[in-house]
Parts: sequence; C-alpha cells; structure tokens
Amino acid sequence: MAEPAAQTAFAEEAMTHLDTLYRGALRLTHDPDQAQDLVQEAYLRALRYQHSYQAGTNMKAWLFAIMRNLFWDRFKGSRKEDVSLDDLGEFVLFEKLRDEGARPEADVLDKIAASEVVSAVDKLPPLHREVVLLVDVEGFSYKDAADTLGVPIGTVMSRLHRARQQLQKSLYDYAVESGIVRPGGMKQVPQT
Amino acid sequence: MRCEECSDKLDRYVDRELNDTEALQVQLHLEGCPDCMDHYEFEAHLKRLVKHSCDCDTAPKAFREKLRQILS
Ligand SMILES: [Zn+2]
Repeated sequence: MAEPAAQTAFAEEAMTHLDTLYRGALRLTHDPDQAQDLVQEAYLRALRYQHSYQAGTNMKAWLFAIMRNLFWDRFKGSRKEDVSLDDLGEFVLFEKLRDEGARPEADVLDKIAASEVVSAVDKLPPLHREVVLLVDVEGFSYKDAADTLGVPIGTVMSRLHRARQQLQKSLYDYAVESGIVRPGGMKQVPQT
Repeated sequence: MRCEECSDKLDRYVDRELNDTEALQVQLHLEGCPDCMDHYEFEAHLKRLVKHSCDCDTAPKAFREKLRQILS
C-alpha cells in the first residue's frame, strides 16, 4: 500500500483528468448516470492499481484506458465485436461542398450547431467513436491513442480515417436536410 | 509535392503527426497552392469544431465532490 501522502498526491493528480474521463464515458454510454458509475469505478480501480502506474508517464492515457476497458467489459461484453461502418467509398466533405459550389466551404461548418456535431459523433460505432474522442477531442497523439486502446498505430489511423469520413457524411446529410446545403442548387444554370 | 500527395498527408498534418521534413514539405506546398490550403483550413476548422462541440461536457460539480470524498 502506498504512503498516505503519496496516495493523496496520486488521487489529486488523477482528479485533474476527471473532465476528460467523464466526457469520454458520457460519449461512450450516452447516459450521465452510467457515465458517473463508470468513472467512479475507474477511479477506484486506478487507486487500487496505482502501483502499476509509472510516475512521469501519461496518467490521462492510463486512466482513460482503465475507463474504456471497464466500458467494454460492462456494457459490451469482453468481446469487442467490431461494428463495421457502411462502406462509403471515399467521402470528403470539403470536395463534396466544393463540387456543389458552396464557397467558402468552411461557411457551412459555421452553420452547424454543436449539438449536431455531438450527435454525429454519437452515431459512430464505439470503436470508431473512441478514436475521435481521444485524437480530436482530447488531443492525444496517435501513439498515446494506440497505447490507450491497446492497438497498433496503423489501426488508430485507419479507424480515424473511417470515423472522419462517416462523421463528414453525417454532417453533410444534416446540412442537406436542414437546408444549409442544397445539392446542385448552387450550380449556375447554363444560359441558353 | 503534388496535390494528391498533399491530400494524402493532410490528416496527419492537421493532427501534427508528420515528421519535421514531411511537415515542411506539406507547408511549402500549401503556401503555393490555394486549393490545398482551403482544404487544409477546412479540415483544421472541422477538427476544432468537433473538439469544441464535445468539450462543453464537464463532470457535474456534485459528482466531482462525491468522488473527492471517496478517494480521500
Ligand atoms: Zn495542391
């Protein structure tokens, strides 16, 4: 058992990563109560296994790994069935918007509400969602994300690529449904 | 560098995952190619949008307090 002072310092440092863990748990479970349960369990486990944490390494990544492993054990069974994403082919939102004459393309992004972006993230299969959470939301390097998820860097890159395409497709569909983008509508009608 | 190669490396450039030499090559291409620069800015903008949209969720105060008690 660690000295009380060391234990307090460990707990204090761990608490500085609470928002990251809570956000991650919330996006994984889609439920604030389950997210709190999951995070609490993760912290208790972290405290119990603090001897296995190497001081000076990435505590945020270590804690996140504990939380997401608990998530997969609890909510998904230990078997991580990889829900595959629909094969979109290459979907590049920027090119799609450019083809439709929406310029500047980034103006479309400014019209999309944050809640729509969150729901597009939520629609991703969990194995893809967690890569977006780590790399885009929490700013993890590919290497740290790979260590956290226990997969090779190449897997992080391919999941991220697929996840972003799916996300861009969801945002595009929303932009069309809500009239932010009119497919073909911005093209010049040729004069006869 | 051709536009195609720049496009292939754009994700890793936005994520700051290229080595210094590759990053410089992409940067030089972007400075001379408005189309790729627009694309880069779009992807960077989207990454920020995803971050800021999901960032707003923080642990509720009461939960933070409860956890603090449990851990002490
Ligand atoms: Zn170019």
